[in-house]
Amino acid sequence: MSVALVDSVTFGSVLAPSRVVFGPHETNLGDGRQLSDRHVAYYERRARGGAGVIVTETASVTTNDWPYERAPLADACASGWRAIADACAPYATVVLAGIGHSGGQGSSAFSQEVMWAPSGVADSVSREPPAALDGDAIAGIVSAFAGAALLAVRCGLAGVEVDAGAWSLLRQFHSGLTNLRQDRYGHDRLAVTREVLGAIRSAVGSRGIVALRVSCDELAPWAGVTPEQAADHVGELAPLVDLLTVVRGGPFDTGAYRPDSHTPAGFNLDLCAAMRTAAGPVPIVAQGSIVDVDMAQAALSEGKCDLVEMTRALIADSDIVAKARAGRSETIRPCILCNQACRVRDNRNPIVSCVMDPSSGYETVEPALLPGDGYASGNNPSAPVLVVGGGPAGLEAARILASSGRRVRLVERLPRCGGAIRGAAAGLGRERIGLAARWLEERALEAGVAIETGVQLAASDVEDARADGWDVIVATGSRFVADRYANSGMAVFDPLDVLAGRTGLPDGPLAVVDSVGDWVGVNVALWLAAEHGRTVSLLSPDVVAGTLLSRGGQLGEINFRLERVGVRRLLRSKVRALEAGRVLVGDPWTDRQDTIEAAAVIDCGHRLAEERLYQSLREPRPVRVGDCVAPRGLLEAVLEARRAVASLRTRQLVGGPG
Amino acid sequence: MSAHGGYRHLFSPISIGSLRLANRIVFSAHLTNYATQQGRPSEQHVAYYAARAAGGAGLIITEEHSTHVTDWPYEKLIHGFHPDVVPHYRAITDAVHSYGVPILAQINHNGGQASSMYTRLPVWAPSAVPDPLFREVPKALDETEIAEVVSGYSKVASHCLAGGFDGIELQCSHSSIVRGFLSPATNKRDDRYGGSLANRARLLLEVVSAVRETLGRRPVLGVRLCGDELIDGGTTIDDAVKVARMVEDCGAVDYINTSIGVATATLYTIEASMAIPPGYSLYIPSAIRSAVSLPVIGVGRFKDPLQAERAIAAGYCDLVGVVRGQIADADFAAKARSGKASDIRTCLSCNQECVGRMGLNRWLGCIENPLAGRESLPVAPPRRKRRKVVVVGGGPGGLQAAVTSAERGHCVTLLERNLSLGGQVALAATVASRAEFLDITRNLIAAARRLSVDVTTGVEATASIVEGLEPDAVIVATGARPVRPWWAGPADSSSRVVDVRDVLEGTVAPAGSVVVVDDLGFHQATSVAELLADRGCAVEIVTPAMVVGGDLGVTLDLETWNIRAARKGVRQSTDLVAMGVTSAGEGPLQLNLVHHPTGVGATRSADWIVIVAHQTPEDDLWHGLRSAAFEVHRVGDCLAPRRAHSAIIEGHRVGVSL
Repeated sequence: MSVALVDSVTFGSVLAPSRVVFGPHETNLGDGRQLSDRHVAYYERRARGGAGVIVTETASVTTNDWPYERAPLADACASGWRAIADACAPYATVVLAGIGHSGGQGSSAFSQEVMWAPSGVADSVSREPPAALDGDAIAGIVSAFAGAALLAVRCGLAGVEVDAGAWSLLRQFHSGLTNLRQDRYGHDRLAVTREVLGAIRSAVGSRGIVALRVSCDELAPWAGVTPEQAADHVGELAPLVDLLTVVRGGPFDTGAYRPDSHTPAGFNLDLCAAMRTAAGPVPIVAQGSIVDVDMAQAALSEGKCDLVEMTRALIADSDIVAKARAGRSETIRPCILCNQACRVRDNRNPIVSCVMDPSSGYETVEPALLPGDGYASGNNPSAPVLVVGGGPAGLEAARILASSGRRVRLVERLPRCGGAIRGAAAGLGRERIGLAARWLEERALEAGVAIETGVQLAASDVEDARADGWDVIVATGSRFVADRYANSGMAVFDPLDVLAGRTGLPDGPLAVVDSVGDWVGVNVALWLAAEHGRTVSLLSPDVVAGTLLSRGGQLGEINFRLERVGVRRLLRSKVRALEAGRVLVGDPWTDRQDTIEAAAVIDCGHRLAEERLYQSLREPRPVRVGDCVAPRGLLEAVLEARRAVASLRTRQLVGGPG
Repeated sequence: MSAHGGYRHLFSPISIGSLRLANRIVFSAHLTNYATQQGRPSEQHVAYYAARAAGGAGLIITEEHSTHVTDWPYEKLIHGFHPDVVPHYRAITDAVHSYGVPILAQINHNGGQASSMYTRLPVWAPSAVPDPLFREVPKALDETEIAEVVSGYSKVASHCLAGGFDGIELQCSHSSIVRGFLSPATNKRDDRYGGSLANRARLLLEVVSAVRETLGRRPVLGVRLCGDELIDGGTTIDDAVKVARMVEDCGAVDYINTSIGVATATLYTIEASMAIPPGYSLYIPSAIRSAVSLPVIGVGRFKDPLQAERAIAAGYCDLVGVVRGQIADADFAAKARSGKASDIRTCLSCNQECVGRMGLNRWLGCIENPLAGRESLPVAPPRRKRRKVVVVGGGPGGLQAAVTSAERGHCVTLLERNLSLGGQVALAATVASRAEFLDITRNLIAAARRLSVDVTTGVEATASIVEGLEPDAVIVATGARPVRPWWAGPADSSSRVVDVRDVLEGTVAPAGSVVVVDDLGFHQATSVAELLADRGCAVEIVTPAMVVGGDLGVTLDLETWNIRAARKGVRQSTDLVAMGVTSAGEGPLQLNLVHHPTGVGATRSADWIVIVAHQTPEDDLWHGLRSAAFEVHRVGDCLAPRRAHSAIIEGHRVGVSL
């Protein structure tokens, strides 16, 4: 092949060591509006792993643009940009400062000032009307972009990437949805962007990199930017830049920018190819859930793009380029496109991380264990290890220990490993979740873990092993609660059994009872309705379905999907009791009561720790990890597995403060 | 109140333990989100509490300080367990003591009412019962961990002593591990910490004993108890009274504070909005006070010193917690004491910028006190003295601009087009359940009169009129006007398709069946629906949003709205976009809708349609004055039509800037 993902590429005046781009994204790593040491470590780790281009978290070019609490402010980024440039320099990674202005899609909560936008059109998410910019204010913003770019270059960065993507003032100017102006900025919607790019070019000179991220499909064809219009936009703007990233999304569909696995990976590639044609010689970056090196390589080989943004892939495994170069692509820890830990646009300011690699974002706080860190060389480095349970926690612990030379025996009760991931991976758009289990199991086997499935260990088996000098890690997962509700004759099923195909369901309408609001209830309802043609009601005590999924940014889309496949959403419906053939529900606030006909209930309520084995072991008990401590998620399982491995050296409590 | 107008009971001194309090007004514990990202108290804490001490509060109790690393439910929680809090404590206590006011620290572990998002550690609770808000399955504590919890309280108590606090309050009430143990709803243990009330209270008494031992004899120790959890199977007043007796009998406690509800289940009862009558929770302190001899603090939406006076005079409680009342006016106590109670900027209990910002992880503010949350920021002196200021518009923005300008020594003239002041606030308050909203302009109008602002109503200020006044500065606060959305057709097409303002102003009187089409998601639609239902109309609200009144969630109005809506028969339909209205003479209107998740059409037949949509700035005067020789500013809706707090903040900001 002529163009290789892992090979260097030239654009503008620079040479990037690979064609893999780590795109700008919210991290909440900031210290106020400054970039922090955690940012530096986060980017350095990706540079070390071989990223060709890094675009730092988008910094606002004006003080009153403050879209989220830790949104970097360009004027406050000098020391951070300098430190990032220095940290990434040894790897020759091209580091660009992301700069932008979120216009009417920002927030007044932190600035306590009005938002400014092309026109006074309220954003559909915040519903807060902005004020329309006048000509002087536009000129001020243009010069603020140039000032930010100059600062970035003076701090040692290669240049800047200007944000005209899903959340940006510039896109708001491009779009008929938000630009209703009657002046020249209304008649010539690209004028501001041209002025910004021109001013930046003047500021940074011909050697500074000027890159642009531009929404080429707002998914609102009645007035928004369409791919056809975008081709004209790209044709006009590409000559002004050194690199152009094709993205999509607009005010009605910001979630389409980096969606979860329900949207097929690589969804932008055809759009990108069309824009590449329009762009002329300027190199084009493809973006859009590209997390697999084969897909990225194919996109390059087919001429759809010149570089590939693999942001989430690099959050899941910072070494994808290094591993691909070494011919070890199969060892790349997969991004499963779950958005659970890496999407952090949320009022609580969660720190960016990854369910597969909880060290991401925590590079300075809790770095990943590496061979040679001494974790396997404790009191008895040759002691073999018995891991009870083959879910993600058990597999991760076994994998690390075996790869450091420990003899490891992993025993799983069920016929297959994977634990709760098996159920989570069922259903359309959920297949990638299954890669997590597959990868963990393959790596464990590769490292030499002896995996036994379909074997139920008794406490005496574990005690015998301990007596023989084995270290033990208990990772027995969670268990279903079958008797949550008063029940006279209703069949109640475990959603994980249903999703994993371990149980049949009676004919007739089904009631999915979801008192939690996480992925389980939503997923099982979708799966039963869409893939099995069942009549399904989803009962939730909340005002929307899947309320805990809001952090993923697609709460609306999830609810709409349920409607589209015909799931009957019964909201504000709290189960009072189950009877043969019906579910009795009540409203959490009023005295409204209903009866729902159902042949069976799938109870997606909270699970409990499967700790019977653990509790029956003699004290001091061995370490336990993941759901058998308290049922939570994949991130916690992987994190606690790593801590358990470390504790075999130090004998600290895991999952406690120690 | 005594014959000469003083609040005799409120201002009679009282002793709690070793402390002598000058009056009965307590600034009791409440979240502020003023802590730093690292969980340390800030300069803003110092200034905030000092302002209330300066304002005459009898006792200040700080927001909670966490006692253990496993407790971090929200980002800006003070990490009291970290020893470096002590100098920050000292700064707070020195500032408060300089006004002769005592200050206690509230210390707490939130137990299961938390998530592991910030700690990356399992949540600790008495039993594996997930909290209704956080919905994370906790780890049930073993006895070693219980001992660790207890010692955490001691450790933090010692930090508080070293930091100069006069004592400690143990939050055992609405969000606490101690409450979790006390409550049969969350304590399912079968060991000596579960089962009987004595067992469930064991942790409380252990904590009390440990903290008293750390404190020694003199410092004050208080316990805050939940009197009624208002959840299924939870603690009720009878158990709470028994626990209060146990607390008294242990001999280590100096006072009892009270609360109602559970923060993560029934928060709307704890921080009640104006929809719930003042004094609604007085039955709790009253029952406890009749069972114990310790001083008892009562809380529950005391916004007027008279209410507080009566609660004490009637013997419901010995002290009164006034939180929002003192957020809105830091000088609440001093004004009441000095016979200027009518000058108090009365709290509305709107919950928009105090409670509403807490749930969103933002710093605490106040809709009508622009200094709340900004106490630590320096305020510059006027640029020039005694300027001639003309304010146009007598809504909240204009009134605040006038008041702030006048307070800073300027000569202010205010012109209002209508015959009365108040702008849209007056309209919003016409609905019975929203009547207290009127306090915002009532307070401002009183202040304007007090400060001799020259107010003229009924005059439409044109540019030439304003210029004729020869001002040094003009503040345009002309508000906003309704816009008829495209789907409603021209105004002359149907006189029964009307704006919400028309209904509230009384220029139209819909009757029969009414559909309210809501684009705003706040009080406008729910208020007008309620008003019309009260008048006998059959009302339905339709909205493109996923929830009717979605923004009522943060102000804790969603629950009470839904209770009233159910009672009044107001129907609610979501996910519907208005597409047009067809009318046939005098017959019913047909509203055409589309269900946007599925694209399926829908219709409604109604006698009237009420539009609740974004307004447009009333900014003709602003444009007319752009080339004026004097300074011109605009504030509030005439800049961009938003909520009252924006108008107040901007009015104040401009007033300060003159």
